[in-house]
Amino acid sequence: MPLFIVQFAHYNEDFRLAELEALSALENIPISYDAQHYSASSPFLLITVASAADAAKLVRRAILIRSIIEHWGSGPSYADVFAQVKETPERWTEYQHVSFKFSVESFGWSLTQAQKIAVIESFSFMAFKGPIRMQNPEAEFFVAEQYEEDCKAECPPEHVWFGRVVGRGSRELIDKFDVKKRSYLGNTTMDAELSLVMANQALARPGALIYDPFVGTGSFLLTCSHFGALTLGSDIDGRQIRGTAGFRRNTSGISSNLEQYHLSDRVLDTLVFDICNNPWCRPSMFDAIVTDPPYGVRAGAKRLGRRTGTIPERSLRIIDGVENHKRPEYYPPTVPYEMSDVIEDLLEFAARMLVVGGRLVYWLPTVAGEYVPEDVPMHRALRLVANSEQPFGGWSRRLITMEKIAPHDERDAHVSGASHEPAHKNFRDRYFSKFEPTAAAQTSASDCD
Amino acid sequence: MRLITHNMLKCHVKNCTDPNKQFPLRFKDVQLEQIDAERNDEFLVRMLPRLDWPALLTTSKELGYSLPQSVPENPVDNDEFLQALHAFILETHVKEGCMVCNGCSHEYKITNGIPNMLLAEHEI
Repeated sequence: MPLFIVQFAHYNEDFRLAELEALSALENIPISYDAQHYSASSPFLLITVASAADAAKLVRRAILIRSIIEHWGSGPSYADVFAQVKETPERWTEYQHVSFKFSVESFGWSLTQAQKIAVIESFSFMAFKGPIRMQNPEAEFFVAEQYEEDCKAECPPEHVWFGRVVGRGSRELIDKFDVKKRSYLGNTTMDAELSLVMANQALARPGALIYDPFVGTGSFLLTCSHFGALTLGSDIDGRQIRGTAGFRRNTSGISSNLEQYHLSDRVLDTLVFDICNNPWCRPSMFDAIVTDPPYGVRAGAKRLGRRTGTIPERSLRIIDGVENHKRPEYYPPTVPYEMSDVIEDLLEFAARMLVVGGRLVYWLPTVAGEYVPEDVPMHRALRLVANSEQPFGGWSRRLITMEKIAPHDERDAHVSGASHEPAHKNFRDRYFSKFEPTAAAQTSASDCD
Repeated sequence: MRLITHNMLKCHVKNCTDPNKQFPLRFKDVQLEQIDAERNDEFLVRMLPRLDWPALLTTSKELGYSLPQSVPENPVDNDEFLQALHAFILETHVKEGCMVCNGCSHEYKITNGIPNMLLAEHEI
């Protein structure tokens, strides 16, 4: 099987392999690599793919991959690389007379223009005769020098990579969906890069129906629909949807972003309701559920209800000759919706509402020092596919990807794998107390028999 | 709101549980608008098993549209059918109006194309 060099972006390192795996599933292109050789500190990974065409297709939607390169040689020195390249001179002939260019990159050290030219000239033994063309050449060759992290003076590169570029990712989409360019956004709008990665984790594609139950200002509708999926969103707070509560007022809310990005055809609808009391009438409707549940730091989760129990008389009372709840100004009372309950309900909802093979992609906040893998809630009908961490110091958020593997069984309701108290419980209080150990945690530690 | 979405919604008031009355919700005083959209046959065909056809028929009659009595045998190759389905479930928008439950008479308002499915305090 041909070997390729994946050149990752050096951002969100913990998300890169997960995205590569998602793309392999999405494009139905098998890949193999030695996970031992993957390192978060290196932007390069060798993988095998059946062909250059498949390699290009594999990464075309990638957000965390810059390019994929047909491997011609790599090693600790240029001598190793040249020796490997010279083993297959028949490979060069195809490029003898076409326009070409060389790109030289260095990682962990900067090269001067003169040094880059010297690198290019060192490959002159291939004797390409075609014109050099910097824009749209027919063949692009890639040389990368990788230096040790603590390289200070003139140390030689730790590793050299060489090959022919066969495909590129879609990092330009980060700029296209940059939140600063959107007509409408709110204070919890997710950044473009991770919103796009989420669409890949969800396998968003033409023909899929994707839903966000905490839609807010609709970031995930935009990115999932960009990749061809049809999307739906809902929120208990209709002001977010309508644009009467965002950063930029005087817009028509989510719909102004749909116009801006020409996605009105694909974002089917946004609705106002509480996910705990939702009107979806049949199970197995969605190909993916993609969401950032509110965890109470900037926007607290709410559900319908009253702390002291509902008082039906309040909504049924006659005011000006009309039942209170039928008046246009009526808004039902809400209570805070605790984070661990939100997540447990979300998993149960996904187990019911996803098609088999469909994916749940959501953010889970965790307390950095206390996180254990068991904090990630499980469900009998859902398999954990990926768990990628974005650290923020005292806490992290983790992008959790799960796949529905079994038809839903009503008897499963509220069967959660978490037998211990997860560290995200009461996350809001923990956040504002700067993650001091909880009284419960201290008590349980001293309670040990 | 598009009619595909309407086909997925039922009345969810606490004590309203008769499946024959909760769904489909009946339209009342609606303003409709046709908006052209790119046709996506792959999506239409994949959604067919997820739609409730009898409910779609009921709604189409209510709104004065016509759809075939049942899904044809080879919908993939049936351009006329796919076009009718596309025009009805994806290009027909309810801009204003109400969806009324045939069981409990709850009225779900649609304002500027956005349905409000929130329940009142006595309904949860």
